Amino acid sequence: MEIDEHVGCAMSGLIADARTLVEHARVETQNHRFSYGEPMTVESTTQAICDLALRFGEGEEESMSRPFGVSLLIAGHDENGPSLYYTDPSGTFWQCNAKAIGSGSEGADSSLQEQFNKELTLQEAETIALSILKQVMEEKVTPNNVDIAMVAPNYHLYTPAEVEAVIARL
Amino acid sequence: NGLRSLRPPRSRRPRRNLIKEGRKRDTGHRTAPLRLLLQATNSGDSTTSPPSSPPSPTTAMSRRGDWVYENNGGTCVAIAGADYCVVAADTRLSVGYNILTREHSKICELADKCVIASSGFQGDIKALQKNLAARELLYQHQHNKRMSCPAMAQLLSNTLYYKRFFPYYAFNVLGGLDSEGKGCVYSYDAVGSYERTGYSAQGSGSTLIMPVLDNQLKSPSPLLVPARDAVTPLSESEAVDLVKDVFASATERDIYTGDKVEIVVINKAGTRREYIELRKD
Repeated sequence: MEIDEHVGCAMSGLIADARTLVEHARVETQNHRFSYGEPMTVESTTQAICDLALRFGEGEEESMSRPFGVSLLIAGHDENGPSLYYTDPSGTFWQCNAKAIGSGSEGADSSLQEQFNKELTLQEAETIALSILKQVMEEKVTPNNVDIAMVAPNYHLYTPAEVEAVIARL
Repeated sequence: NGLRSLRPPRSRRPRRNLIKEGRKRDTGHRTAPLRLLLQATNSGDSTTSPPSSPPSPTTAMSRRGDWVYENNGGTCVAIAGADYCVVAADTRLSVGYNILTREHSKICELADKCVIASSGFQGDIKALQKNLAARELLYQHQHNKRMSCPAMAQLLSNTLYYKRFFPYYAFNVLGGLDSEGKGCVYSYDAVGSYERTGYSAQGSGSTLIMPVLDNQLKSPSPLLVPARDAVTPLSESEAVDLVKDVFASATERDIYTGDKVEIVVINKAGTRREYIELRKD
């Protein structure tokens, strides 16, 4: 989903919880634009999301009954270039070059380890990402059961035609 | 949360958690401007009052019959160049026909490339500059970088508008370098309307200085499309000389301007400050 023009995220886990976090991130990024007239850095956006994760002990204000059961991959482009952050329900976040989350993540992570290098072009990255996804998916990869989005430098969710084009290159 | 074990048992009178209260206030302040603006546009009501409802000037005046502001005079000027910015203000503090001090600085360095000069009511100016400096520090901690001049410009505008119905009596000029290293000057009215310009003068001597700057610096209109660069082609030393000349002229006829002018020059090497004597009468 899109968080701001320059930041998007992918989710795995309880999707309803993810929507709460994404909504919060959207509000925070727009507040930042309103107050400072500039886009929020990707790290600050990630930090804003993770601030919500463990609001248990406060008592009256905004305390939760259970943690958010969702991991997020937050991808964005700011003045430091493109970056990727991975968050988990504890509220910890890591910066990565490549990451997979979800039920097939272990196999996908090791494939990424082998295939990723810093000089990948956007086209190569699309192909690699989709081929790894194909390995861990049970159904066949079609434009209707796979979503691709990129942030380069603005967020763009691929249309089914564009996804079809990537699938054709696999 | 580590302090939980040191707290007295719940049966006693509960202690105020000042950190939580402060954080509550801070969150309100951060999200309040957007919320207020949305409320105002949604309800079409232009008289929404801020959450903490301070006394408005109209109620203060009608209840106490008292004017809560005071004008301490002074003039501020800023000029933006291709890779520098000059911000200057006189150092006289006055009230009525009296001088309170000849050595009062109206300039505050908010970030390494951002300086504000304000004239008007010094009580409000001190509060405003402290507020902005504190917000800059918070920003530094949260985002791991110093605030850029355009970001501070937007923040100042929001801070001023937040008190739309009980304004800061402060006429501000913000100067510095933007993220590309070019000089930028932003000038404000008392409630936060702002514009990026190539030069500006505010305060009691502004009406004497602005026409001279208009004549010397010939800024292109901000309405032109495509936008033309407003920064002056003058060199840094020429701009500083111009500032000294305009202050000397304003001092001749404006009783609230004089004593000394503090000139702050920001360029990529850093910030330097100089003081030039003016007429003391």
